[in-house]
Amino acid sequence: MTLRRTILLFALAWTVAITLLHGALNLKLFSPKPKSGAEVGRIGFLPVTCHLTCPVTDFINKQNEGSIFEPVRFNSWPELKEAYLSGYTKATFILAPMAIALREQGVPIKVVYLGHRDGSAVVVHKDSNIHRMQDLRGKRIAVPNRYSNQRLLFFRALKQAGMKPEDVELIEMPPPDMPAALYAKSVDAISSGEPFMGQTELDGYGRVLWLTKDVWPNFISCVLAVSEEAIENDREWVQELVNGIARSGKWLDHDMDNRMDAAKFVSRNYYNQNPRLLEFVLSKPPDRVKYTDLVPLKPDFEEIEQLGVESGILEGTAHFEDYVDPSFAAEANRLSAYDWKEDKE
Amino acid sequence: MNRAGKILLPLAVTVVALVGWHVGVRLVKSDLFPTPMDVVRGIIELAQAGLLLKYIVASLFRVTWGFGLAVVIGIPLGLVLGWYSRFYTALNPLIQILRPISPIAWIPLAILWFGVTDAAPIFLIFLASVFPITVASCAAVHNMQPVYVRAARNFGLGTLELFQQVIFRACLPQILTGLRIALGIAWLVVVAAEMIAVNSGLGYLIIDARNAGKRYDLVVAGMVMIGVIGLGLDCLVRQLEKFDEVRWGYASNAR
Repeated sequence: MTLRRTILLFALAWTVAITLLHGALNLKLFSPKPKSGAEVGRIGFLPVTCHLTCPVTDFINKQNEGSIFEPVRFNSWPELKEAYLSGYTKATFILAPMAIALREQGVPIKVVYLGHRDGSAVVVHKDSNIHRMQDLRGKRIAVPNRYSNQRLLFFRALKQAGMKPEDVELIEMPPPDMPAALYAKSVDAISSGEPFMGQTELDGYGRVLWLTKDVWPNFISCVLAVSEEAIENDREWVQELVNGIARSGKWLDHDMDNRMDAAKFVSRNYYNQNPRLLEFVLSKPPDRVKYTDLVPLKPDFEEIEQLGVESGILEGTAHFEDYVDPSFAAEANRLSAYDWKEDKE
Repeated sequence: MNRAGKILLPLAVTVVALVGWHVGVRLVKSDLFPTPMDVVRGIIELAQAGLLLKYIVASLFRVTWGFGLAVVIGIPLGLVLGWYSRFYTALNPLIQILRPISPIAWIPLAILWFGVTDAAPIFLIFLASVFPITVASCAAVHNMQPVYVRAARNFGLGTLELFQQVIFRACLPQILTGLRIALGIAWLVVVAAEMIAVNSGLGYLIIDARNAGKRYDLVVAGMVMIGVIGLGLDCLVRQLEKFDEVRWGYASNAR
């Protein structure tokens, strides 16, 4: 056979075969699918406890009447943000200051509900001699993103300890890389959403310097934000979404059994993590992260705005009324927790 | 070297490297960094979960389409650039500006244009491989012996026939070398391309394992699979060099 025929035949056969295989194995083109994400609306989230209500809502809905959205897991903040900007995700869990900054830059985004309260920590290596805030002078500290509330949290903690931002070196690092960085002692302290902080404790090389609830009670890091277009054209869907998030938040805080169930099904089906991790951070201590009391309130956001301006990430041109639409939260908050229990054989 | 030696020698070096890796991990006493056996167990775990095949297929699918588009566009573009000096003068600076930009830098734009679909990583792989192919094809025309073209002109060939029958064939050996390099690059960027939140692929496996806590065995398992498949792809492309149409272009002792 000549070269040309061999190549053409091989290339054709290969392309068809690999495309069909990919379609069958990964895209599930040949098996019936309930509804594609484009129809029901996609929601972006990261595998952190701050966004836990997203997979919990999806899971419980699927067991009951069917999911009202398709959760799309991202691995870092920039990609999550870009997918929202491109319109691929209709709503997204996002850092509160990042949502405010996007609003300042003219992006039609509205915060409709909070993701959680508390649920963050500052962790140092257990062999280090850092025991109080003052010991961090001149040290290198990893935060997830310049728009992360962990960075603002640090500014606040520095102020409380009578220190200046220049006293520490803050660097940006994706949360999944933080445990290894702390283990290798390439940073002196790390701070991000759970479960990456709990992981260092569980693996025996991390020591909590302080939990968020100690420095900034009722700390908010992530919020649920939707596009203004969805609010105008699809109010019902947004309300249903916020209702689901609110009800699963209450379900999570209802009792420890629910939390342990959530740790299992979320780890297995959504986060692809060891369930022990989520079990640990959802229970030790139980108020490490909270999922109730999640209506967006003006004073909370004013404080974030002010810290954001002080730390140089916000202009201070967008205010609560510009970037929050609290109308959905009020109704959602009146609903009770999901009445759902996992069947245990 | 005899046939057995060609297999035994690299095998022995690989075994020594694996033993060195194992001993290294043991000496450092790291419980984060996996030993070769941990990695093998990780690969078996993935295979049993049915994920290994899925991920390999997904990555090969993206590389096939990205690289395939790059071949279809890159070779004709390179030949035209090499033949018409006006095109070359006009386009070469632009190509040289775009060429050194890493696919990672294109990720934000890829997401904005294509969303989080397969099209985004395919686009990144296309970008990474189209320039080496274009440049190799263009250089092949520049290096071509003018006597082929003069002879063809004497036979009265039209422009299209000239490209098909003479220029392309004369350049084929050099183009193939370019393709081999480009395929290596296409496979190399699969990790970066799959950093976009697609939910399958060997690159995704690596990123996903970082999320999963202390699963660095799976990170290295992804790396090993990418390496082994890369070796397979290279062997496949080298088979092309056995054809007469290509073989004349290589010195007889080159292989």
